Amino acid sequence: MEELKQKIIDYLKTVDKAKNKEVAQALGVSKGEVDKAVTELAKEDKIEFLYLGTSYIKLKT
Amino acid sequence: MANEEKKTPLLDQLEEGRWPSFVKEIKKAAAKNKKAEALLGQLELSYREKKVHWKHGGIVGVKGYGGGVIGRYSDVPEQFPDAAEFHTIRVNQPAGWFYTTEALRKLCDIWEKYGSGLTNFHGSTGDAILLGTDTDKLQACFDELAEAGFDLGGSGSDLRTPSCCVGPARCEFACFDTLDVCHEITMEFQNELHRPMWPYKFKIKIAGCPNDCVASIARADLSVIGTWRDEIRVNQEEVKAYAEAGFDIQGMVVDKCPKKAVKYNAETREIVIDNESCTRCMHCINEMPRALRVGKEGGATLLIGAKAPIVKSAFMSWVIIPFMEMKPPYTELKDFIRTITDWWDENGKTRERIGETIYRLGMPKFLRDTGIKPVPQMVTAPRANPYYFWYPEEVK
Repeated sequence: MEELKQKIIDYLKTVDKAKNKEVAQALGVSKGEVDKAVTELAKEDKIEFLYLGTSYIKLKT
Repeated sequence: MANEEKKTPLLDQLEEGRWPSFVKEIKKAAAKNKKAEALLGQLELSYREKKVHWKHGGIVGVKGYGGGVIGRYSDVPEQFPDAAEFHTIRVNQPAGWFYTTEALRKLCDIWEKYGSGLTNFHGSTGDAILLGTDTDKLQACFDELAEAGFDLGGSGSDLRTPSCCVGPARCEFACFDTLDVCHEITMEFQNELHRPMWPYKFKIKIAGCPNDCVASIARADLSVIGTWRDEIRVNQEEVKAYAEAGFDIQGMVVDKCPKKAVKYNAETREIVIDNESCTRCMHCINEMPRALRVGKEGGATLLIGAKAPIVKSAFMSWVIIPFMEMKPPYTELKDFIRTITDWWDENGKTRERIGETIYRLGMPKFLRDTGIKPVPQMVTAPRANPYYFWYPEEVK
């Protein structure tokens, strides 16, 4: 999980915002795994959600 | 005043019917609230011009939530400035819609403070709907609702607020605890409820028996409908009592059984039911509730895919799991929901409901991908053929 969380953070450094599904595709893992990792990252205050018709995530600035 | 021009002549006509009118209620609210007064004016204009004057004008919400607030704007704000913003707040209802009067008063007090004072009890999804507030009042209203123990419901492409019938709280037909299931599902899927991340909306409605009082079979992407797997309980003494009271058991029950599964002996005044043939239509139980009861081994049938017309026409949901036990903590149901929504999320197009995705890609793919075992009960409609009998590549 920690490894995946780090990969998500690294990926989010390369984009402005992304959907969980896009992150999953980019990292080659299931969306379910990304969902869990993203939930943890949100609790750790490392990412934030953007709601633009659908949910996006981005690194917390 | 006799010579004063009526402000809302067209709306006034709607108060003349035999039934309670929404116009009367809006007028009551308008007497003490400017937003309600503006709504009345704009509605009169709509009737006069035969044109809707609402539009979507952007995304509004509260901190941390992607759903629960529906933005609504007037397209004639210069005429009705108090209705320029008229957002709806969806409040997650308690399971089975049980409120204390104190809770309702609290809800209404908060709404009179921040909004128009107008409500819908309830919206189609089951939420308590609060109609008409401004963008700058949303957060304060939500904070106070949260303080009072209320949360927002679902909107947009997320899990819509799960709803259920009154279940065992007020109904003898309940085959499982619908209220507990509804509450558990709501708590388990908070993330999915408040963060729209799916192709489109996903509704779960939970009915305690095949009477389906929440109409889940017509309205829910996942219908959870109570059933039993043993036998209908028969109290022969009560059957005799019905007969003695002059109730036409043969005509009203036996002849109307769709599977001819009920037999009545007029001499002994006893009923025998062929439970193997029973399709759980509930007719006999509804007609003779004192004599016939649902079985003791309760659970639920899970059906998938109901919806109103969007991409394709209206669908009724169809059986996907003929029987599932409903025992806390409902792990099997929760896992099932995750499995099917994950598949839909991977395969669905934008604004495509799960039923449409299955329809487009085919039931065999859905079942194979999700690992759900094909069973004969998976039919598109009553007395229709099952979806398929074999995978084409397996035919020699």
